Amino acid sequence: MRSRWFLITWLLAAPVILVAGVQGEEPLTPITSVGIHSLGPVPLDNLAPPAVPPGNPQTSDKILLGKKLYFDTRLSRDNTISCATCHDPAKGWSDAGPTSKGIKDQLGGRRSPPVSNAAYNLLQFWDGRAPSLEEQAKGPIENPVEMGNTHTEMLRTVSDIPGYVDEMEKVFGTRKVTIDHVAQAIAAFERTVVTTDSPFDRFIRGDSEALTPMEKRGLEIFNGKGHCSSCHWGGYFSDGRFHNLGIEPLDPSKPDSGRHNVTKHPKDVGAFKTPTVRDAALRAPYMHTGREGTLEDVVRLYDRGGGLDDANLDALMVPLGLSKDEIQALVAFMTRAMTSTNPEVANVKPVPQSELPK
Amino acid sequence: MRRLHVSLLLVLGILFASPDISQAIPAFARKYGFNCNMCHTVFAKLNDFGQRVRDNGYQMPGQEGREKNVFQTAPPVALRTSTGLIVAHAVSEKGTTSGFRLSGLDLLAAGVMHRNISFLMIYTPRIDEPSADYTGNTDGSNPGQPGALESANIIFSNLAGGGLNIRLGRFEPGYHAFSSKRSIYLLQPYEVYAFTTPNNSFVFDDNQIGLEVTGHFRHGFKYAAGVINGTGASPDNNNAKDFYAGFFKTFGRGDGQSAGQRVGAFAYYGWQPTKLDSLYVGPSGEADGKANMNFYRVGCDLSCNWNRFNLMGMLAYGVDDKALNDLDSSLDYTFSGGFARLDWTALYNNRLVASIMYNWVNAPCYDSERDISAFTGLLRYYLGDWTAVNVALHGEYTYRETGHDNPYREHNLAALIDFAF
Ligand code: HEC
Ligand code: HEC
Repeated sequence: MRSRWFLITWLLAAPVILVAGVQGEEPLTPITSVGIHSLGPVPLDNLAPPAVPPGNPQTSDKILLGKKLYFDTRLSRDNTISCATCHDPAKGWSDAGPTSKGIKDQLGGRRSPPVSNAAYNLLQFWDGRAPSLEEQAKGPIENPVEMGNTHTEMLRTVSDIPGYVDEMEKVFGTRKVTIDHVAQAIAAFERTVVTTDSPFDRFIRGDSEALTPMEKRGLEIFNGKGHCSSCHWGGYFSDGRFHNLGIEPLDPSKPDSGRHNVTKHPKDVGAFKTPTVRDAALRAPYMHTGREGTLEDVVRLYDRGGGLDDANLDALMVPLGLSKDEIQALVAFMTRAMTSTNPEVANVKPVPQSELPK
Repeated sequence: MRRLHVSLLLVLGILFASPDISQAIPAFARKYGFNCNMCHTVFAKLNDFGQRVRDNGYQMPGQEGREKNVFQTAPPVALRTSTGLIVAHAVSEKGTTSGFRLSGLDLLAAGVMHRNISFLMIYTPRIDEPSADYTGNTDGSNPGQPGALESANIIFSNLAGGGLNIRLGRFEPGYHAFSSKRSIYLLQPYEVYAFTTPNNSFVFDDNQIGLEVTGHFRHGFKYAAGVINGTGASPDNNNAKDFYAGFFKTFGRGDGQSAGQRVGAFAYYGWQPTKLDSLYVGPSGEADGKANMNFYRVGCDLSCNWNRFNLMGMLAYGVDDKALNDLDSSLDYTFSGGFARLDWTALYNNRLVASIMYNWVNAPCYDSERDISAFTGLLRYYLGDWTAVNVALHGEYTYRETGHDNPYREHNLAALIDFAF
């Protein structure tokens, strides 16, 4: 009799011990606290104002300085490339793709993600290797296939432009140009590139006419049968996490292991950050390879349950059984209803060469 | 006429007294802001996505520990009931009865407590009022719904990846591939699930008390195995425990619920006491189990998906020891049965679903009065907006024959509204 109770006690206790063991073994990938969402799917919504890190408050002078730096090709080695070359407001803050062309027409390995709303990324880049916009902005300048410069060289160039030195002094209180200040100014500008006035946003704010019946059906499928909002959730339409969708690599001999490059965790092989769906219609082609030409191609990929039969394919990828009408509705929703028309962002024009500091 | 009343009561009884036709959990949809069809092909039938969430202890796969838990959300409580008109017509008696009715109420709560620890509870409160057509006394001695804790279980997930998960408490055992709790049919049960044999209180789809281990693997293989009392919620009246196992394999992507092609096989092995030994009767009247006799159920199942069609089928074969067979104690009691069902979804976001189903049970020839064959058709249309489609207009029709030589024939028609929130 006693042995039976012993057995029962063990049966009850074993799972608890096991769970405790499992929890101890595999720590969660840390999610930075900057950001509007860190726990679980939350409903699709309007975008709240982006979080501003305490070390880099927004000021209008700083934003203006950042904007000039963003559009200034002199940050690159040979004065041909600016941030806007690859993150062009006229191309949905991305480029023509499929992957980016940098200095001396060198081709990068990944698609240029949009700078619009990048302020909401918990982690920057497709693999999340940069924790903030400030850190991110330092990358392209010295990336050999992007702007091909060094920080020292770029700082020397900027320091030689009196207009910039004056502005730096006004904003940061020092005439010494540092990489941190350059990055902070660019990041401050990026935090203003926020799109909050799509028909979807107006619909959520209560204008029931803002969406056409077709778009409403698309939204319903996005949030229902299509499972889209299980990853593209919240105001940003992204979970900020990493998933393997089985996207075919551009060069099969050089597979891109994505998030795994950063974490070395086997579950991250081939996983890439969920991009926002906001303004997607402005920036074809899609995915980190730029392989999917149209939004319809993207939806058809999901409908098949993802791309290649990857051993690490995300468990959320299942065939959807969408009809032709349902595919069209989803595309309609993502095309007009998710495209913002706020003038301050949609109509941002590059700062003309003549207006850049001299 | 009497038989007709009995039959109507039976039908009502199925809806009313088996409150466990119940599992759609809008509390989850609310937590995430999702439309029901994120997890359900149409509620209450799970799609592949929902199946994976369920298999993962009600956590989104890959997001364990990064979701709100029950302490961070509004209380995860949901309700479900249905109401409408039921018409029953007995063919030989040429009699028709009809009645408006309200089915029972289910209270559901479920959620994640900590990473990889979650729970499900389904409570059906006792409802004293009998169903509308009941003519006996109304003093509560014949409740419309018995109070019951239909489900109360705790789940430990991902003990060894997806390959080992444990459920403890009262739960829906995983050997049957097609949940009767999450069927879209409100009146017509899977007959072979509901079929009970003489002297054996085991019901195939009862929620059971015990422990279950389940696992799911990348290449589409799943298993479930459990040790349970096998008596539903009744006191366990034998010492021997029942065992079961089910194995399932999906070919192609998906889990066989809404995509992929799935086959499965199961076996259930149980014991049933035949006599009460007065020497060892315990405090709640259970027998000592000395005269336990065994019974088993085996079967296989299939789910095929093509386009917006889902074809499901299941065959079961049951054998009870002859000591349990009070109809002919020289023979084991054997029966077979199954069903075939075809679902078709239409309109945007599966707003409309049509389904047909054939059920049969072949009892032994000396008990052929209990043969069943039933044809059912169903149409459900879902109302709601982009956040939820949680109200279903439900039409269901069944033609059912019971007995072999002089079968009892009946038509049952129901127009109901099924809602959960
Ligand atoms: C040659 C093209 C090119 C140039 C020039 C360039 N970028 Fe990028 N940018 C990319 C590519 C490609 C990625 C994605 C790289 C990756 O994920 O590995 C990217 C990523 C980003 C991201 C992350 C977005 C996200 O969703 O993760 C931001 C922000 C960004 N760039 C801003 C800038 C800024 C600011 C500059 C100028 C200092 C700049 N970029 C210059 C091509 C470019
Ligand atoms: C499992 C999570 C997940 C689900 C579910 C999901 N997505 Fe995605 N989505 C992603 C990820 C991750 C990427 C980037 C993948 C890559 O490039 O490797 C992406 C990329 C996209 C893009 C391209 C955006 C761009 O800027 O390139 C679009 C558009 C999109 N998804 C729409 C949808 C739609 C529509 C659905 C529903 C049918 C959906 N997604 C479901 C995770 C998901």
